Amino acid sequence: MRMKDLVRSPRLALCLRLVAAVPGGYAMAAAAVAVCAGVLAHAGMARSEAVVLSAMMGFVFYLLWLLWAFGVRSLWRLWGVLLGGLAAGTALLPLMPQGA
Amino acid sequence: MNENFHKSMAWLHTWTGVLIGSVLFAIFWMGSLSVFDRELDRWMQPGTRLETSATPVSLDRVVAPVAHALAAGSTQWGVNLPTERAPHMRFFYRDAQGKTITRAIDPHTGQLIADQGSKAGTGFIFPFHFSLHIQWLDLGHWIVGAAGMAMLVLLVCGVVIHRKIFVDFFLFRPRKRLQRASLDLHNLTGVLALPFHFVATLSGLIIFMGIYFPQSHVGAYGAGTLARDQFNLEASGGFKRAKANRPGTQASLDAMLAEAERQWPGGKAFLVRVWHPGDANGYVEVRRSYAKDVTMHLDRLTFDVQTGAVLHRFQAAPVMTVQRFISGMHFIQFDHWGLRWLYFCAGLSGCVMITTGFLFWLEARRASHLKKGLVGVRVVEALTVGSVTGIVTATLAFLVANRLLPPGASVAGQDRAALEMWVFYLVWLATFVHAAWRRASPATQPARRAWQEQCVAIAVLALAAVLLNGLTTGDHLLKTLARGYWPVAGVDLVLLLGAGLAWWSGQRIGQTSARRGPQAEARALHQAAMEEGVCGG
Repeated sequence: MRMKDLVRSPRLALCLRLVAAVPGGYAMAAAAVAVCAGVLAHAGMARSEAVVLSAMMGFVFYLLWLLWAFGVRSLWRLWGVLLGGLAAGTALLPLMPQGA
Repeated sequence: MNENFHKSMAWLHTWTGVLIGSVLFAIFWMGSLSVFDRELDRWMQPGTRLETSATPVSLDRVVAPVAHALAAGSTQWGVNLPTERAPHMRFFYRDAQGKTITRAIDPHTGQLIADQGSKAGTGFIFPFHFSLHIQWLDLGHWIVGAAGMAMLVLLVCGVVIHRKIFVDFFLFRPRKRLQRASLDLHNLTGVLALPFHFVATLSGLIIFMGIYFPQSHVGAYGAGTLARDQFNLEASGGFKRAKANRPGTQASLDAMLAEAERQWPGGKAFLVRVWHPGDANGYVEVRRSYAKDVTMHLDRLTFDVQTGAVLHRFQAAPVMTVQRFISGMHFIQFDHWGLRWLYFCAGLSGCVMITTGFLFWLEARRASHLKKGLVGVRVVEALTVGSVTGIVTATLAFLVANRLLPPGASVAGQDRAALEMWVFYLVWLATFVHAAWRRASPATQPARRAWQEQCVAIAVLALAAVLLNGLTTGDHLLKTLARGYWPVAGVDLVLLLGAGLAWWSGQRIGQTSARRGPQAEARALHQAAMEEGVCGG
């Protein structure tokens, strides 16, 4: 099977979308929570408060991601945003004040 | 993913619902019952059916002797003070293996109440709601969390695919075909209780943010256990002091309680815990009750065990207080009977919504699956019966077993409390087998028999539970109603109501299939499937 046909297979497309939406989205939400808490703490919020606020918002972020991931038409765009987001998270996390 | 957003959301709603609906029903069912977990405790643990005491109990006179006898060498012991809904004192301590042991004390006499041999509402039904009793790797929490996120997705796309959300409010056509009626009821319960369902689900996730986002602190605190402990300490408070390893005296706990209540104007304590009892460096933690507040605040005072001096004072910061408010909306630990009933009904309306969603999915596909020889409808139908009437049957079997098992019963090393849970799980499993077996009968006949028979089982078990409660404890309805003992009378009345409802449903299901006959049924369903081209898949 050629690469082009593979991507056009509806089953594979669905699998790719599910992976990007569910575990991919969770990984991005988790990274966003940690980074956001670091940024807020750096901006002067009490550290524990920054973490709690970010963690609560993490669920809202994940929900919006899930809806968008199933709504957007282009798989390329979905994966592009996902990989871009994960790369940004990985790059930013060590720069946090107490970075890992 | 489809050609337009509307269609994508319809697809997402359909398949998320079919995939997660069974777990969601279990969570909604157990959550609705958890609203009355303490009342179920009274029903299932008759030894704790005590009168609420009007006078405050002396910790020094009632609890200290128990602690001395049971928890002398323990690292910590504590007591939950009596409340309106839990009239006994819940005494707990750590044994030599680090396991927490819980005992109940009668606050009137100071005597220990014999172990009632039941996990009941707070020990079985409530934890089932958020963990499914799967402890391995916290897997149960994660399944419930995934189901919670799926529920949020379902709610949002459910609203998106609605073109006439306002009209659906007033639309219910119970005498129409099952498919039409179930969609109406699905929309009605979905729209009416939408704010409750959304808030309950989101708050349920937020309660366990520490489990679902275990790395949330790494950006602000760094990685590792120490960083995590530091975050928990700053967010939720806590006071630690190492043991001095020399014996110490104990100041009056009642005096500490009085001082704490003086420092919280209008506030009462709900928990007192002694750390390192008997050690010179011991300390006493007093937690403030939130029986009068939605917010499950974290206010606590720590006293020196020898002098009774205040060592530490904690109050949560604003954002954490918001988190505790959101948690409090979910946990409904405040005293308010009207709201408690409303939560119960809204929770059950979620159960109706999930069930009717399944019914619509099934009825919309039955004819076409039959024609194409697909097994989807058959499998989902058996799963639906087991997940809906099955878990209700199992819960009632749990109550009946609670009244039938003799005290101290033990089979193959399983104690009485474990046996009750075995009854629950085995009956639940049996309902799936029953549904699959009944579904295997002639293919043109929809699985009405499975529904009908399980409805009858529910009616019989609920009635049996009420009768057995009267017979085995003497607290029958006439007596509890006359005495105004609502925890037990209320459970009995709801059981009777449920029995009536289940019996009526069973009769109606039987009548419909008898009147129509299998051929007419299949024709009607086929026609229905033709008309309703919506929610494809």
